[in-house]
Amino acid sequence: MTLVRIEGLGVRFSTRSECVQAVDTVDLDIARGDHIALIGESGCGKTVLGMAVMGLLPKNAWITGAVRYRDQDLLKAAEPDLQRIRGKEIAMIMQNSALSLNPVKKVGDQIAEPLLIHHVLAEKAAHDEIVRLLTAMGFDEPERAAGRYPHEFSGGMRERILVAVALACKPDIVIADEPTSGLDAGVKSRILALIKQQMADRTLFLITHDMGTAHYLCTQIAVMYAGEIVETGRTHDLLSLPMHPYTQGLLASLPSAGLHPIPGMSPSPTHLPGGCRFCARCPASIERCSREHPPLISTGERLVRCFLYD
Amino acid sequence: MSRKIILWVSVAVLCAYIVVALCAPLLTPYSPTEITGSPLQSPGDNHPLGTNDLGQDIFSQLVYGARITLLYGFCAALLSVFISTSIGIVIGYYGGFADELVSRAIDIFMPIPVFPLLIVLTAFFSPGILTISLLMGILGSIHGIRIIRSQVLSLAQTNFVEGARAIGAPDFYIMSRHILPNVMPLVMAKFVSSSQRMLVMGVGLSFIGMWDTTTVDWGTMIQKSYTSGGMALGLWWWLLPPGIAVVGISLALAMIGYSFEEKFNPRVGVNRI
Repeated sequence: MTLVRIEGLGVRFSTRSECVQAVDTVDLDIARGDHIALIGESGCGKTVLGMAVMGLLPKNAWITGAVRYRDQDLLKAAEPDLQRIRGKEIAMIMQNSALSLNPVKKVGDQIAEPLLIHHVLAEKAAHDEIVRLLTAMGFDEPERAAGRYPHEFSGGMRERILVAVALACKPDIVIADEPTSGLDAGVKSRILALIKQQMADRTLFLITHDMGTAHYLCTQIAVMYAGEIVETGRTHDLLSLPMHPYTQGLLASLPSAGLHPIPGMSPSPTHLPGGCRFCARCPASIERCSREHPPLISTGERLVRCFLYD
Repeated sequence: MSRKIILWVSVAVLCAYIVVALCAPLLTPYSPTEITGSPLQSPGDNHPLGTNDLGQDIFSQLVYGARITLLYGFCAALLSVFISTSIGIVIGYYGGFADELVSRAIDIFMPIPVFPLLIVLTAFFSPGILTISLLMGILGSIHGIRIIRSQVLSLAQTNFVEGARAIGAPDFYIMSRHILPNVMPLVMAKFVSSSQRMLVMGVGLSFIGMWDTTTVDWGTMIQKSYTSGGMALGLWWWLLPPGIAVVGISLALAMIGYSFEEKFNPRVGVNRI
């Protein structure tokens, strides 16, 4: 059963002189219970995509397409309706734990916020729920932790708090945007284990640049390049047999595969090439690639945006 | 002397003023407007600071004057901080046309010196304590709006405000629960420094006579002694006490203000070294 259906989503930012195409006609279905990762390098539009689903893009964003959730289009929904959905039904684990918590509010109060804003629990019951959540997040002394301020915690602990905030209202779907950025390897693996455990019976939409994180947490992967999806598939299939040259390049650039970076840079989102966007960096490009923009081609269970499979 | 000692001495001075203002009836048996002796008496047993040209007790006037002077100082400061905080937060958070409009209006009003403008305005309205506090509060808020707005502009872009939006918090909630606590230190510092400004401004107004003359504050006392010959006759006990009282409270508030500013804005401290 599809929970969130992203249809032809496009996001453009217009500044005075230029027009930035951050996301270009993205189609993606997220079914209940799915764990989907959106992988791509910095600036490919993955965070913008997540923000678009939440309805949190700045006012100068020009959005096309639709994000269907239940029986409504989130892109056309009124702000009060969105406020009722955000945090309660669609929650987000924000990037950068050091800055995502209000420095002058106790963490307990910040975890209670979604519960109180959405009138899920009364103040008294919310307090018990905070203690329960903090315990679940692996805090030894949840009562004391709730009374502390964000700066009193380490990066890993703050990340756990953010996970608790996101999970407080038991949302239908959690969007996690780079949940482990800036953490060292040991802490990172513990946080990922926590997220995996907490997400076992929930829907997760993970936004990351890290293959390892995606592999660990998700059953499906969508690879994004220069604003569009270039390949989707089951995690195992995609990692063992990458089809798109960009995905192949990504995997080859991992340290475990010998650290072979993809030559060149991604195209500027202000001047996207007319043909295949990966063409200039692609080792397998043919003449057609620079002329024609490849569509997503279906091969079995997978989708790939490359003429090699036409 | 370290900053910390200055701060605590200033706080103690401020508290002393407040206690005097609150306990005025306990400190002196006379009403400030009551004629209780012969005119122009020197300081003596019944009148510790003598009497003025009408035979009113100067010490009583000084003590009761503290009430009025502190009242309009704090009222105006409270109002100005309230106005500048609420408007500053709203325009800084929403931005757009309202922000543009208010900012341009501030640009127009900023260069106009407040005190002369205040004199003109008090001449139009009835010069009661309430009216004058109101006028001072509104005029004094202009500068504060700018400061709060600039702070809120950067706060509105922070991750935790974005995070608050992501949990479905409405705008008013974000402004009151997330942004306000973050600008509160600035608001407190602004309150102290503007109560000093308002207080001195109010004394100035009453000194030049833009004031309801039936209420006694330090400004009217100084004015009286000045115009009724207290100065020419060398009656220092008439002129000096209200003057010293004004200087004392103004200094104490200024010192508290500086200490706050230094605490909340570390760059100020560096500049002073």
